[in-house]
Amino acid sequence: MKKPKAAKKPGVNIDMTPLVDVILLLLTFFMLTATFKAAESEGVEVSLPESINVDTTKLPEIDVMTITLSPTGDIFLDVDNYLVREEVFGDKFAIGVWHPDSTSKSEIIETGKVGDVVLRRKPVLLDKDQFERTMNELRVALRNMTDGKSDFRIVVKGDRDGKYGAMEDLMAALKNSGNTRFALVTEIKHD
Amino acid sequence: MAGMGGGEDTSAQGDRFKKSYSKGKKPGVRIDMTPMVDVILLLLTFFILTTVLAQPQVMQINLPKGDEKDKVKVDMSNVLYIRVSGEGNIYFSLGKADGTENPPEFVAFNNVKTRLEQIYGANDQTLMLLKFSRDMKYSLMVSIIDEINRANIERRYTFMPMEDMDKEIVRLAGG
Repeated sequence: MKKPKAAKKPGVNIDMTPLVDVILLLLTFFMLTATFKAAESEGVEVSLPESINVDTTKLPEIDVMTITLSPTGDIFLDVDNYLVREEVFGDKFAIGVWHPDSTSKSEIIETGKVGDVVLRRKPVLLDKDQFERTMNELRVALRNMTDGKSDFRIVVKGDRDGKYGAMEDLMAALKNSGNTRFALVTEIKHD
Repeated sequence: MAGMGGGEDTSAQGDRFKKSYSKGKKPGVRIDMTPMVDVILLLLTFFILTTVLAQPQVMQINLPKGDEKDKVKVDMSNVLYIRVSGEGNIYFSLGKADGTENPPEFVAFNNVKTRLEQIYGANDQTLMLLKFSRDMKYSLMVSIIDEINRANIERRYTFMPMEDMDKEIVRLAGG
């Protein structure tokens, strides 16, 4: 008789409030720190090289001109402002491609792919002179649009498996076109 | 004792409750938190999975602006050639005052930082001329610049193309 009486308690009540508090805090944290990769702005995926340098600065968020070096030596020229892209390339989703003659075969011209991924952006093929000119045209277009208030900052994303040859050609082109300040994007590696 | 007292109190309150508000028998408003917690947990999972916490860093590079006209003359005794072969072997050679240079010295990647600090300890006017082989990996270039930045020295370097003579020096030194 006594046993069923003892089992009459209405279950175990767990107070969820502290749990919900913690989860809400975590949620707020992740919502505030989240940065999303826009699939469209990310033209070409590369695996970045690592660096341990401590005084590196963060990647700028807007007005970025991204120059990407694929593992096969194709050089992609992209800006984060689609209006500028439309003005210079004539297409909102275009991306400039330059393949230095001195490096090996071009993946994008031969297969239309970058690695295993089919490029979804419309490639605009450029030669060395066009590449140098286009970089400055993009910068001028942004300056005109913003009354000279903003300018592109150049970041170079190289693939860690790419060869230095393409980088050497790119640096020569950057120097020729007067874009002598740029930044290499790396992933931070801890000692 | 305290528990018992508490129990008595609540029952007494309950009695009073019954008497004064006969219709309001409900014990306060209870909100079931479960659906909310479910949704919050889903959101949390979503944000945890989509967040990229390791924001990429950037390494500033400044190329010399000058064209051929305003070349700077550098004393050869202040020059350090850093040549890297296609296989990724690093060779240092210090310039001599008479315009020639010392034979290349193989430096393992792990010793680059300490060797640079030694060289700069002896002569802080040293200018590094980086001659990288075109076949070298791009990641090695980043690593070498990283080592230069990490070394406790003034960053004075410039990139130069590897010419036939440099290739020969590297080849003779072991490739």
